[in-house]
This record gives sequence, C-alpha cells and structure tokens, in this order.
Amino acid sequence: MNFAEKLVELFSTEKYILPFLEGLKMTLVISLGASLLGLVLGIVVALVQIAPKSKAMAVPKIITSVYVTVIRGTPMALQLIIMAFGILAIKGFPLTVTAILAFGINSGAYVSENIRGGILSVDIGQTEAGRALGLSRGTTMRKIVIPQAIKNVLPSIGNELIALIKETSIVSMIGMYDLTMAAKDVGSGSKLASYVVPMTAAAVFYLAIVYLITFGIKLLEKRLRAGDKRSKTV
Amino acid sequence: MISVQKLSKQFDGKVILRGLDCEIAKGEKVVILGPSGSGKSTLLRCMNLLEIPDGGEVWFDGKLVTAPDPALHPGMSRSALKAFRAEHGLDEDAARARMGMVFQHFNLFANMTVLQNLTLAPVELGRKTAAEAEETALTLLDRVGLTDKKDEYPARLSGGQKQRIAIVRALCMEPEALLFDEPTSALDPEMVGEVLDVMKDLAKGGMTMAVVTHEMGFAREVADRVLFMDDGSITEEGTPAEVFGSPKTERARDFFRKVL
Ligand SMILES: Nc1ncnc2c1ncn2[C@@H]1O[C@H](COP(=O)(O)OP(=O)(O)O)[C@@H](O)[C@H]1O
Ligand SMILES: [Mg+2]
Repeated sequence: MNFAEKLVELFSTEKYILPFLEGLKMTLVISLGASLLGLVLGIVVALVQIAPKSKAMAVPKIITSVYVTVIRGTPMALQLIIMAFGILAIKGFPLTVTAILAFGINSGAYVSENIRGGILSVDIGQTEAGRALGLSRGTTMRKIVIPQAIKNVLPSIGNELIALIKETSIVSMIGMYDLTMAAKDVGSGSKLASYVVPMTAAAVFYLAIVYLITFGIKLLEKRLRAGDKRSKTV
Repeated sequence: MISVQKLSKQFDGKVILRGLDCEIAKGEKVVILGPSGSGKSTLLRCMNLLEIPDGGEVWFDGKLVTAPDPALHPGMSRSALKAFRAEHGLDEDAARARMGMVFQHFNLFANMTVLQNLTLAPVELGRKTAAEAEETALTLLDRVGLTDKKDEYPARLSGGQKQRIAIVRALCMEPEALLFDEPTSALDPEMVGEVLDVMKDLAKGGMTMAVVTHEMGFAREVADRVLFMDDGSITEEGTPAEVFGSPKTERARDFFRKVL
C-alpha cells in the first residue's frame, strides 16, 4: 500500500476517522473559546492601556502591563502546564475550560497589543468629532473608534487566530485529546502503525481550518472596508 | 451665551492663551481672525473643552462648563467652590451637546454612511428616536442639497460635500451655538462658496456662531463683531468696518494687508 492509498484508507475507515473527528472537535472548541476570550481580554486590556492617566486607572494600568509582559515573555507550553497543574489544578475542574483559559489569556496579550496599535492609528479627529457632539468617551470608543480600529487590525488579528489554532496542538501535554493527539493515537501500534500518514492527515485538517479562517477574514475585511473606497468598482 | 473669562492655556511650557476674555451673545456672529499659531483653535477648543484650560472659566448659557477657577473666586474655600460647581456647573458632555463644532478637516465618521453620521448622536443621547432623527437628518440634508448622498460613505464625497454634511451633523443635535474652526481652509477654492453659503444661511436663521476663518468677505458680510488674535491675546475687537478699516495695532495692519 502506498502513501496515498493509506491516506484514503484513513479517511474512509471508521475506526481511524472517528478519533480524528473527536480530536478535531476538541481543537475547534479550544480555539473558538480561546479566541473569543482573547478578543474580549485584548479589547479590555487595550482600553485600559490607552485610557488617560488617572488615580483610578493607575492599578489597572500596572496589572495589564505586567500581564502583557509576562505572557509575551514566557513560552505558551509553560503557561499551559502552570495553569493546568498549578493555578487551576482544582479537583474536577474541566480540562477543556483550563485549556480555553490558558490559550485565551495568552492570546489576549498579543491581541491587546494589536488593538492598542489599531486604536492609536485611528485619526484623533474622529474622537474629537464624537466628543464635540456630546457623546461620552465610552460611546465614542464603541461606535466610532473601535469599529475603525478593528478594521485596521483585522489582518493581524487573523494572524493571531491562526497562530492560536496551531498552538493548541500542544494540549496533549496536559492529557487532552485534540487533533494532534488523535493523529498520534491513530498512528500508534494498536491502530495504523504508521505516524507519517495520520500526521499528514492532521496537517491537512489544520490547513483546511486555517484556509477557511483566512477566507472568512478576507470576506469580513471586504465588508468592513465598504466605506473606504472612493468608487464602488476599484 | 458663551462667556470666556481669564482663559489661559500652555502647551509644553509655551503660553498659548494669555488670560483672555470674550463674550458671545445669543444670536451673535463673531469672526475670529489672526495669524497662524496665535491660539484661535485653542480658544475654540477650550470653549467646548476639547482642550482643558489651565486657568480661567468658560460659561455657557449662564452655567459654568469648566472647573471653577479659585483665582476668579477669591475667598471661596475648596468646599464652597465644589458647591458652586454643583449649583452652577454644566456637565461637559451636556455642554458639548448644546454647542456644535465644525472642524477644518470635517472629521466625518469614516465607518458610517452619511445618514448614520447624522443620526448617531441624537439617537445615542436619547434626544430622538431613530425615525425622528432620520426625518430631521433628511430635512437638513435636503436644505444643503445632498439628499442623494445619504447612503454614501464619507470617502466618496468631495471636501465641500463633507463639510456641508459635517455642518448638518452638528445641526442634527439642534445646538444653541456653533463653533467653526477654519471650515473652508482644507477645501479646493471652487468648493469654498458652497460651504460659506450654508454658513450664511445659518447666520440668517439667527444661529449663535463663533467662526475662525481667513475668509474676509464672509467676515465683512456676516460678522457682528470681529476679534483679532495675536500671540494668545485678543488685540483688536469691533465691527468688521472698525477692525478692517482702522486697525489699531501694527500686527493687525500687517495681517490684513496680506490677506485682504
Ligand atoms: N495639542 C498641542 N500640543 C502642543 N502644542 C500645541 C497643541 N495644540 C496647539 N499647539 C500649539 O499652540 C499654538 C497655537 O495653536 P492654535 O491654537 O492651533 O493656533 P491657530 O489656530 O491660531 O493657528 C501653536 O504654536 C501650536 O503649535
Ligand atoms: Mg487653527
């Protein structure tokens, strides 16, 4: 049996493909949960960091800056292990939630830097126009600045999301059954007795997810850029 | 309507406004002139607190918009000032909602269509329902001849169109006064007229206006009073005929020779 035939066999044999789909589901659940958490955290942290200096903001500003520094300065794998066996090692705490928290918290630090840059890149005149109409700082941010910032940073957020999805492949370290773990499992002696084929299959799955996301982001970008173009055709 | 007292402002240790006073009465049109860097924009921006003055006070319709300045209320204790603010103060957002501003660079919201630009503030601030706000917006758009642009995004409009819409956006809040900061300076010459026409209409309608501009023709035609600013102070003040006809300072004479 050559490589291609083995690959086809893998995709068409229930005992091989079912573990894959189970792993795929886990990868998607962690990625989706973590990216949503990362986005929310990223926006909140960015808002804290760009807020004007004041007594009330002093402590939040310190906390967020420590958060970003620590998360960006340490390996994801260590963060995951520390979260799983240290901070969240509460009896009965679901591993899936642990993973979502670990990856979401990690992603939030990177996303916050992107969003902060995106907010600062929005012309200050937009904020001034909003405030001059009597809108509050919050409303001006929410309705005017953040939508423009998100549009500006959508490509880099997309990259973050893609990196996050691939990074989740280390969750087997804390004993979770994701797409990569499924590939190892299927390739183990009791099943296919070859690692190359299932690993390739897993790679194809990751590639498909990433491709879909890239496509989705492009679509979203196109929609958000509706207001940018001078003419409808260019 | 707007009263500015002993207003002072520095940027990075550089004095921009030197404790200046000015009054703008209800329905009055005041044109502010002066060389670049003399502090005209800063004065307007302090009036609606886009800049926070270092000293002095801004009053709007009898209410104190800025924090009370201890120097202007000698003998008042801290707590008395606080009570004074509580009694006579006006929240900055509320003040801004009643005093519109038109910017040199239009600043239309780039992520919204024209209609969304116009209805955002009245709806967000609970002044109008979405339907009412849209109705007002369409009526005003019609007045500036831009009804057909209601669903366009700002990027697809000319400068003159953008500025007319920016004026309409301010009007949609039904302001009691309008501040204009060089509204035609960023426009191609052929578009200046269409914007000035809208402003003249507003003036005829009795709007209280403070206008920073280099358009002398507009000042002559519309202004009840002209202020000439130089280096953070108002150095000349009077009717257009007085100020243009017989400026008292060399600086003003010089300036008018160049722009007239
Ligand atoms: N945000 C700011 N930070 C620092 N300097 C400023 C700022 N805004 C204005 N200035 C300075 O204040 C001076 C007066 O500015 P401005 O009020 O804009 O003058 P004008 O509108 O009369 O041309 C200028 O020298 C300008 O460089
Ligand atoms: Mg200016």
